[in-house]
Amino acid sequence: MTREAWWITIPKAFVVINVVMVFFAFTTWLERKLLGRMQLRFGPNRAGPKGLLVPIADLLKLIRKEAFAPMAAKEPLYIIAPVVSMFTALAAFSVIPWGNGWTVWGHHIEGQVVNVPISLILIFALGSVGIYGFIIGGWASDSKFSMLGSMRTCAQLVSYEVSLALSVLGVVLMAQSINLVEVVQKQQTTLWFFIPQFVGLAVFLIGGTAETSRPPFDLPEADTELVAGYHTEYSGMRWGLFQAAEYINMITLSGLCVTLFFDGYHFPWVPWLDQFGPIWFVLKLFALVSTFIWLRATQPRLRYDQLMRFGWKVLLPVATVNALATAFLVVLVK
Amino acid sequence: MANFLVWVVWFFAAFACLASALAVVSFSNPFYSALALIGNLASLAVLYLLLSGEFVAAGQVLVYGGAVMVMFLFVIAYLGDRTDESPWSGGPSWQIVGAILAGGAILAEVCVVVGLKAGGFLSKPQHVGRSFGSPEALGRAFLTDHLLAFEVTSIVLLVAAVGGVVLGSHTRRESDARA
Repeated sequence: MTREAWWITIPKAFVVINVVMVFFAFTTWLERKLLGRMQLRFGPNRAGPKGLLVPIADLLKLIRKEAFAPMAAKEPLYIIAPVVSMFTALAAFSVIPWGNGWTVWGHHIEGQVVNVPISLILIFALGSVGIYGFIIGGWASDSKFSMLGSMRTCAQLVSYEVSLALSVLGVVLMAQSINLVEVVQKQQTTLWFFIPQFVGLAVFLIGGTAETSRPPFDLPEADTELVAGYHTEYSGMRWGLFQAAEYINMITLSGLCVTLFFDGYHFPWVPWLDQFGPIWFVLKLFALVSTFIWLRATQPRLRYDQLMRFGWKVLLPVATVNALATAFLVVLVK
Repeated sequence: MANFLVWVVWFFAAFACLASALAVVSFSNPFYSALALIGNLASLAVLYLLLSGEFVAAGQVLVYGGAVMVMFLFVIAYLGDRTDESPWSGGPSWQIVGAILAGGAILAEVCVVVGLKAGGFLSKPQHVGRSFGSPEALGRAFLTDHLLAFEVTSIVLLVAAVGGVVLGSHTRRESDARA
């Protein structure tokens, strides 16, 4: 296979970043609309047809707000924290495959921004760096609520990261690769991994909900207890960056879930439809994102001790046993 | 061209590594020191990347740069700002002895490397294949050549985990008795 030229990769990265941003913007719209419908309301319906221009209106509002900082804030860190979160959130999407690769006028275009042999670990590494945005933001604000919020975020993300990584181990063992492209290709020749790895999928979805601080695991910003958590002192577009990072993390996590368990861009049974990979990828992504929103509409928030007990005493053992059983079966079948 | 690029990246990574290491010991606020340590670990990861150790670099960022340093920051932020009563502003005299010893060790190492280089002992290029540093090659090395070290490390981790549980349960029993 020929390698892709660098002058294709750079504009492609630009396009992918912007597509992800647009997807994020309309995820906020979708979330409000779905939440509204599930709670017997209309949801946004004033700005544009069906309220479709609400994300644009939000953006304009946030950008035009005054960007102030508390007097006691550590200014450089206070400003850099949302940037770190946003950067890692966007960067993680670069290794997720969304297409089979095409050849246009003799130039090869790969179906992902970059294809590195360790892509799965890269996503987890970026995720663990992304936590710094939350903890630095909370600390640099120099406010008790922010501080408590960032402590909670940190404890929750570190706890559930372990289960999340272990839940993926089963898929890695079955695919015998930590390269996401190879994981997708392996699923085309065998089963989609959500069938043999249904325990892994369940742990991944629960751990992923906690990892992206989505309800019912939105303890980091429990508004009844913490005002707004680590971003209490943020406003305007800096707050917007934090919010964007959270949504993009959710989208990346859904993309990772699609890749690992639902065979990414692949269309079942009809091989020639694979060239329209991005369409199937986005459809699967849309279904998963809607599931996350559905969870938010229907589940009450956990108490903090319940969250910790569930993470360490239920999710982690289940993920470990699943990984061990998968390892045993993989060796046995071989 | 490629060599020049490697050289430029190496220059910046090495410089960042030294600068952040100095920053770790010169900040009086421990939170900033911990942040500098993250920078140090990250620039080390870049150096690993230059040595084709992709997996090691990602592991470095994931485990040390991510999980371990988050714990550092967590504890430092939890204890609050204690810059004025910190033992490291000023510091007892044995720390100076330790610093001189560590500095001497680094100086000796630099001298040895420079001497080896001058004597031509270092100019033996090793062949680096495509699979070098890949997760497969690393896993095979762990389970064949370095099996003993691998297993002993897991026992060390087990001891640490058991120690954590013992410490945690001990404090809980005491607080129960008091209540």
